[in-house]
Amino acid sequence: MHIVDGALSGLVLASGAALAAGGVAYGLKKLDYDHLPQVGVLSAAFFVASYIHLPVGFSSVHLILNGLIGLALGWAAFPALLVALVLQAVFFGFGGFLVLGVNTFNIALPAVLMFYLCRHGITAASPKIAGIWGAVGGAGAVALTTFMVAGSLALSGEAFWLAAKATLIAHIPVMLVEGFVTAAAVLLIRKVKPEFLNISEDWQDA
Amino acid sequence: MRNSVLLALVLNAALSVPAFGHNVVGGVYAIGNTIEGEVGFSNGDMAKAGIVVQVRNATGNLIGESVIEDEGLFAFDATKRIDHYFYADLSAGHVLELVLPADELPATLPGGSAPITKSSVAASSASMKGVDQVALEQMIEKAVAKQVKPLRKELAAYKEKASLQDVLGGIGYIFGLVGLGIWLRQRKQEKNRASVS
Repeated sequence: MHIVDGALSGLVLASGAALAAGGVAYGLKKLDYDHLPQVGVLSAAFFVASYIHLPVGFSSVHLILNGLIGLALGWAAFPALLVALVLQAVFFGFGGFLVLGVNTFNIALPAVLMFYLCRHGITAASPKIAGIWGAVGGAGAVALTTFMVAGSLALSGEAFWLAAKATLIAHIPVMLVEGFVTAAAVLLIRKVKPEFLNISEDWQDA
Repeated sequence: MRNSVLLALVLNAALSVPAFGHNVVGGVYAIGNTIEGEVGFSNGDMAKAGIVVQVRNATGNLIGESVIEDEGLFAFDATKRIDHYFYADLSAGHVLELVLPADELPATLPGGSAPITKSSVAASSASMKGVDQVALEQMIEKAVAKQVKPLRKELAAYKEKASLQDVLGGIGYIFGLVGLGIWLRQRKQEKNRASVS
């Protein structure tokens, strides 16, 4: 998911940086400071997730967790992911500093979209429905990020469908795993800490 | 039936495009006049055969091309003692740039800077003994390069690997930032409280 330095054109880099800056600014503005520890914990989870490679067949994949982060944080996903991406670039050499804006935007925007799409679903009274929406959020965020990565490459001159197909196929295992993990996380959090998903208490009465 | 199709699809995906989400890594080493290079991904997969590697000089002009063969290896015969820049585009946003500095190439090659041309002139006008010495130097260079190559590879792999310290360090930074945010907010609140009372 991390695009490396040198793969994108200057225009894409600049607009990605501008969009990401806007998202981060809006996220910080909307950030409820009582939720700051959650933002930190999820940022740390994203940071570590891409270090842990799970073996799939002869290759390995790593979780992205942007769906879960989006569901839990909404717009605050932008600052949370920016911090984690900066640290990944510094410590692991993932991505790079020039593409930081594009990478942040590509990973955080799907998170925010999933927040709006699945917010009602995961607060549904039935755990089954909530789990399904959690899975949709987890897998959907990865799929959207894949398309946005392919789009960034296409805007820089690579053939869109070729890149999109290649990255999408490669991420099918990630999407499956991510869907399961997000669904499980949603169900767990609903039980033990409903406020973590910004869920108000009222759904328990319904 | 449906499940098995899905499983086959997933396995196929995992096998055919194994390298996404990983960094592109590589190295170039001079063995005599030949520059050998290696391109792969940080998880150990090597680049596929058939990918073209462009060779450019310091000003960006194309001076040659090489094709990646089995196990991500490619070779290029240097004709000048200048900095060589290698570009490999592994598609889907995986690009790699490698540099081989001029001073890793043998001094016998004609180069851009003055002292090197002098030494090559001296070598060409030398007696039998001098020629032998040049050949000997080349042999030694080749032998040493061969011995050092696995070490270089190992070192490159080691550099790519993030350690537990990196992970813990990153988490520490994040928690530190959160602490900073909470502290700043607390200060603000206290100020507000002080101004109200």
